[in-house]
Amino acid sequence: MSAAQMLETLLASEVTGDLLVLFHRNPGLIDTLDSVARRIGRTGNSIEEDVRGLVNLGILKTRRIGRSEVLLLDRARDREVLDAIAKHLRNLEGVEKIDNTKF
Amino acid sequence: MTTPSSRTGVSGFDQFLTRKVGEGGRVRTGIAELDEMLHGGFMEGDAVMVAGSAGCGKTTLALQYLVNGVKLGEPGVYVTFEELPDQIYRDAKNLGWDLRKLEEENKFRIVCTSPNLLLESEGDSLLDESFRDIQPRRIVVDSLSHLAMFVKESELRREAYRLIMHLKTKGISSLLVWESPQMAGGSFSVTEVGLSFLVDCIVALKPVEIESSMRKALVILKMRGSDHDKRLREFQITSTGIKIESAFTNYEGVITGSPRRVASEKFMDLFRGAAEKRK
Repeated sequence: MSAAQMLETLLASEVTGDLLVLFHRNPGLIDTLDSVARRIGRTGNSIEEDVRGLVNLGILKTRRIGRSEVLLLDRARDREVLDAIAKHLRNLEGVEKIDNTKF
Repeated sequence: MTTPSSRTGVSGFDQFLTRKVGEGGRVRTGIAELDEMLHGGFMEGDAVMVAGSAGCGKTTLALQYLVNGVKLGEPGVYVTFEELPDQIYRDAKNLGWDLRKLEEENKFRIVCTSPNLLLESEGDSLLDESFRDIQPRRIVVDSLSHLAMFVKESELRREAYRLIMHLKTKGISSLLVWESPQMAGGSFSVTEVGLSFLVDCIVALKPVEIESSMRKALVILKMRGSDHDKRLREFQITSTGIKIESAFTNYEGVITGSPRRVASEKFMDLFRGAAEKRK
């Protein structure tokens, strides 16, 4: 997946933004879908799709604890994704600067 | 991934041997007066309960124990069921402790989860990533009272025992926070569900009203295998953490919530009053 596609996923919805803020502020959070949803004032059903997007990106990972499936931040992968996006944005900025000099 | 053990070349077995050699040692809290009360610190590998009502400084004491542990070269894990980590980072920063930095340095971890998940997890699967990453020597569970909301009273003791023994087996010194109801009146009990006998040491924190002002008292109620200071000491939460002060020597009944000045002090007051009148 390209950095542009990653960025698109992260900016996809307000819920995804809320999830990113929650896990970045609380990198040690390990909880079920329903409990994570409760922590951002939503229901499990309403965040399921956004969680799937973040799991597919690798920012969140799942693990089975007893009878429950839990979500947690993959710190290493999260750093990789953020670095890739930052690089992508820097490149865009560079392109914009070149374009500005043209006009 | 490079773990601290592979970086240092210390195998798990070496650590196990080192731990065995260190048995009987003390785990310093880093709070000088408390270590003095404990005759050097908690016993290594022991399960310690810090009990007290809301707002009396249990979390501050627990965090200070972990932060000081890091300074002494002992990484620590803080398990919270209640507060979200960002709130803990903020409150700790106000006390001069940069927990995010300690996490980046792989010396500290906050794990925030639901109590039922800790109970459901078999072995250490919920905490294993943190254990693998930083190889903690200290752990705080804040709080054991939250587990009580998910299990029956009879099962709580069994589950708490399982948790304590799991941590002991790993050689990790644990500090378990217990929120007790406002301890007032003529009787005093730390937990009403009989957890006291499961732990090796109990430190009780209690707000007390003396001469129309609220003060805080700390007492070591129990410490297996070691003598300790039996006195009730006043403490304050300062801008740098817990500061333990002198003993409540002039009062009795402090722990029951009905403190009164001891008779000798009353007489002294009377004499002082009489002497002033004569002047």
